[in-house]
Amino acid sequence: MKSFLAPVALSLAALAPASAAVNNDSDTLSWTKSYDEALQEAKETGKPLFLEFRCAP
Amino acid sequence: MTELKGINIGLFDYDRHNALYFFILNGDEEIYLRYGGRDSVSPDSYLSLDSLELALQRGLELHDQWKEGNGPAWEAPEPFYPEQMPLLQEKEVSRGRCVECHMIGDYQAAQLELDGNLDKAKLMFPSPDLKKLGIELDVPKGLLVDAVSGMAEAAGLQPGDTIAGFEEHKVYTFGDLQHRFGKHARDATSARLVVDRPGSDEPIELTMQLEPLWWVTDIDYRYWSVDPQAYFGDEPLSAERKAELELPEDALACKVTSVNPRAAIVESHALQVGDEIVAVGGETRHGGLGSCGLYIKINVKSGETVTLDVLRAGEKISMPLKTHRQYYRKNK
Repeated sequence: MKSFLAPVALSLAALAPASAAVNNDSDTLSWTKSYDEALQEAKETGKPLFLEFRCAP
Repeated sequence: MTELKGINIGLFDYDRHNALYFFILNGDEEIYLRYGGRDSVSPDSYLSLDSLELALQRGLELHDQWKEGNGPAWEAPEPFYPEQMPLLQEKEVSRGRCVECHMIGDYQAAQLELDGNLDKAKLMFPSPDLKKLGIELDVPKGLLVDAVSGMAEAAGLQPGDTIAGFEEHKVYTFGDLQHRFGKHARDATSARLVVDRPGSDEPIELTMQLEPLWWVTDIDYRYWSVDPQAYFGDEPLSAERKAELELPEDALACKVTSVNPRAAIVESHALQVGDEIVAVGGETRHGGLGSCGLYIKINVKSGETVTLDVLRAGEKISMPLKTHRQYYRKNK
């Protein structure tokens, strides 16, 4: 997916550790935690955004 | 990023009691689809890697169409930010606290209640249960229908159909479909589905006749969001038990399954596990709200005291129950 998507991880709960939003397979997928940065990247590259909201159940 | 301050929650509108929720959108902030959704049984009843992969593939297809100028129709919702919620601003933002996603849902309800505009039917049940509507999905395969019953079966939905539309909206995932059901008017008597059916070249339109209270679900998992607090858990009495007690089938009659220790601390009530409640505030019919806890959530205002008729060890006793409002909903 790396070449097609600009994934954004918004780790939105104090109970969810920040690292939990980062894919373990960092060789193939790199997440950013800044929506604004990812949006800018999407505008510049033409990629779609894959946006994750994460919250404690 | 660890919080929702500064995020356009008007754009990213979803049931904040989802543990995980995804959106696929383009650089113009046009959302193609959403992935997530839940039921009262589990936060991940409708999550699977296979259906996520399907959603990702569909998102890429829609993005390709958009780049070619043939993207799906999009109407941007009104921007709205957490900082525009006065109660949230006062209680959390101004104190430099993190605004977690569930807090958006909590404070939206609190603010509306404070303003006298809380529509409990819509705000407290944002995620209707598709199974209650008679739709069982083959979860790994997205919106492929596995089995039907009740309202969906009566509308003509069939196993093997793939749901593709709700009212005037296209839907690509369970998250899309549940979100659309969640936004559907609570007094609506019907809902239109569009399905793709094997052997049919054209999409098929179906009209579901919605039964009263089609949107009611168990909301125990979001109890902190839903005032008043009554500090007990319960389940409806079985048909057999109601018959033993010579109660009608639609009796508001429940067995207490748990008591929150806070009930004693705040002197809310003296219920015990095993007690059977057979009336709440003199009401003996549930009116479609199966459990006594749910009945109280919907019909009793925070801070009010209601009288419970309770059966305990063969004795019938009357007991006051004082409901409470959560701390952050107080003041003003």
